[in-house]
Amino acid sequence: MTTTTTRRITTAKAMAEAIALEMRANPEVFVMGEDVGAYGGIFGSTTDLFTEFGADRVIDTPISETGFIGAGIGAAVEGMRPVVELMFVDFYGVCMDQITNHMAKIHYESGGAVKVPMVLMAATGAGYSDAAQHSQSLWGTFAHLPGLKIVVPSNPYDAKGLMASAIRDDNPVLYLFHKGAQGLVWMKKNPRSIAEVPEEAYTVPIGEAAVAREGSDVTVVTLSLSVQHSLDIAEKLAGEGIDVEVVDLRSLVPLDRETVLGSVAKTGRLLVVDEDYRSFGLTGEIAAIVAETDPTMLTMPMVRLAVPDVPIPYARTLEYGILPTPERIEAAIRALA
Amino acid sequence: MITEVPFPIMSEEDPAAEGVVGTWFVNHGEQVVAGQVIAEVQVEKVSQDVEAPVSGTMYQYVAEGVGIAQGAMMARIDSPDG
Repeated sequence: MTTTTTRRITTAKAMAEAIALEMRANPEVFVMGEDVGAYGGIFGSTTDLFTEFGADRVIDTPISETGFIGAGIGAAVEGMRPVVELMFVDFYGVCMDQITNHMAKIHYESGGAVKVPMVLMAATGAGYSDAAQHSQSLWGTFAHLPGLKIVVPSNPYDAKGLMASAIRDDNPVLYLFHKGAQGLVWMKKNPRSIAEVPEEAYTVPIGEAAVAREGSDVTVVTLSLSVQHSLDIAEKLAGEGIDVEVVDLRSLVPLDRETVLGSVAKTGRLLVVDEDYRSFGLTGEIAAIVAETDPTMLTMPMVRLAVPDVPIPYARTLEYGILPTPERIEAAIRALA
Repeated sequence: MITEVPFPIMSEEDPAAEGVVGTWFVNHGEQVVAGQVIAEVQVEKVSQDVEAPVSGTMYQYVAEGVGIAQGAMMARIDSPDG
């Protein structure tokens, strides 16, 4: 009988599978956070880990982000490889000192003598009426502050490979996953959140963007759930002769500038789609990279599609009034094509 | 040989509660191996995986998101004889 070496799984299960493989291979890897144990992570990122590894290696914590992220940093400094979950990235406020002044700076402050091989994962994103304190993206906030690598997968294959890379990396890595791209049964899901993933361990390199779809007319630079939307729209517009290239950044730090610039040089037209806030963020950063390199690459002004600088509303109509929806992505591409 | 796969009884308190196949991991007419997860199903916000009881060609009886009674057949697996 033949056995399958790949099968379709959700992004959430791909994350959990990567963690399980690293835990089997290395006894220093452990998981800690709120409801990561028997519950399996409220967005499925630690599904079934508790059953296999038990309470000593999959540790449920009290609601005490400063405490358990600090404990994770301490364990990492002592040579362990903690995977710590901050349930919602929005909860960063209470524990930002641990994240940015300790997790991100110990390696530098110690002159490189002390490493912090820790993964901090957190759920991001809107679209399901969870309101202003549970719907943000915030990757631009973290990417602004030096010292952390930052990865943001958009699909199951990358979710597994980036998690393996993050755990094996000797640097602190912030791993941000969109709730709407996890493939959860109780949330509206895009079929792209369920895909073929190899059973064995593999890595996706941190710092390399992916050209998720090749095209010649317009470049869409984006990440996370917006990649799924952009690919859907690209396929729709292909039928009308509009050939869209979709660049999935996958990592924000380090940022793969070459792939972005190469694509813009090819198409001359750039749309940046970001579910984070518009001002002082990713869309402006991508614009600056193009402008600093060679603004004449653009044959027409680039377009930014991001969340306007307001809190994410609770009311569904208002929430979808500000998100970079497939409809807005389509309109923006049409304006450029 | 034909093997039908029932939707699991997930709510003993309320066996009349309708379930739903949240996600099919195996397409209609695809090959499965015994033990492979074919679907994630849900009853009243509780979800669980359903595994293929045997190897063979799987055919879906219900689409994603459509209500189905707990215990009702949700798929069929045709196995080669012998």
